Amino acid sequence: MNKRVLAVGGLVTLPLVGLLLMSLGHDPHRVDSPLIGQKAPAFTLTPVGGGAPVSLESLRGKPVVLNFWATWCAPCFEEHPALTQAARAMAGQAHFFGVIYEDEEEQVEGFLKEQGSAYPSLLDDAGKTAIAYGVYGVPETYFVSPDGVIVEKYVGPLTPKAITALVAQASAR
Amino acid sequence: MSRKLLAGVSLLLSLAATGVHGQAPSLGVANARQVVGAPKGQPLAGVALEAEAKRVALLLRCPVCQGLSVFESPSSMALNMRGQVRELVAAGYDEDQVLRYFERSYGEFVRLEPPLRGMNWVVWLAPIGGLVLGGFVVAWALRKPKAAAAPETSATLDDDPELQPYLLRVRELAYGWPAGVKPEDSRR
Repeated sequence: MNKRVLAVGGLVTLPLVGLLLMSLGHDPHRVDSPLIGQKAPAFTLTPVGGGAPVSLESLRGKPVVLNFWATWCAPCFEEHPALTQAARAMAGQAHFFGVIYEDEEEQVEGFLKEQGSAYPSLLDDAGKTAIAYGVYGVPETYFVSPDGVIVEKYVGPLTPKAITALVAQASAR
Repeated sequence: MSRKLLAGVSLLLSLAATGVHGQAPSLGVANARQVVGAPKGQPLAGVALEAEAKRVALLLRCPVCQGLSVFESPSSMALNMRGQVRELVAAGYDEDQVLRYFERSYGEFVRLEPPLRGMNWVVWLAPIGGLVLGGFVVAWALRKPKAAAAPETSATLDDDPELQPYLLRVRELAYGWPAGVKPEDSRR
């Protein structure tokens, strides 16, 4: 009788324990972007402060770094120098663009005047581009290959090392 | 006079705006066309549009909230997504197309109800399976005591030879059985 209880108990418990072990070390809040390896969603957006609209189509031939950010976001402030430096160092090798996420144009202009800027930031009307790219929050940065495929999505503030590695990865595709 | 002129100008401007809108679909609709193709349903407007947009927005998870639909969440992201759902529904995209469009950006996670495919079958069937299994366990447990009830009295007597004399004495005193043995047993 005890053996039978043990068998039934094991039958119920073991799969649950297995499920638990499988999920250990997995962050339930992390959802991998289904867009990696897919064609980057198209956009045509106007830069902050005016100027000709920028379309993703026109950027083919070089890797594109698309950084979603906002002035109210502290990690964005933190990564700004790294991005600015990388954009200057890689001028001619890669396109860098900021995409404004839930922020006001005047605020962004003020921020860029104060902190300096090496690449255009684009205005995203009603967050449509952010939605098309599956942005959850800022900063999130997409690395697009020269033929327009999303190679990697980086969540959180970028470091100079990460930018260099991911741009290389995007251009190698 | 000038007010009439102003009204005329604003009417012209709004007509021009709708004309431009008609020629170039908005970014969201253009992206949706790339992902899920041409709209399968009829373009909607007015009350029908609002009702359908609400119904579809209730099926989408707000990515920055905890288990709230895009319709219910007050976050600005949900507001933007709601606006886009409305736009797509107005253009004639049906429920499946709208959900698939958002799923491409955010993954299956964006659907509040997991679709019946792959491992999701477990989510749908496990409760039913659990209920059936639980029913069997309860039935088994209820059936058990009757089967186990019978062989108790005689077992202890033979089990422990040390206790046997005491047991016989107790039975002798309690029941008046000679030497503690039940009369019909002793006859055998």
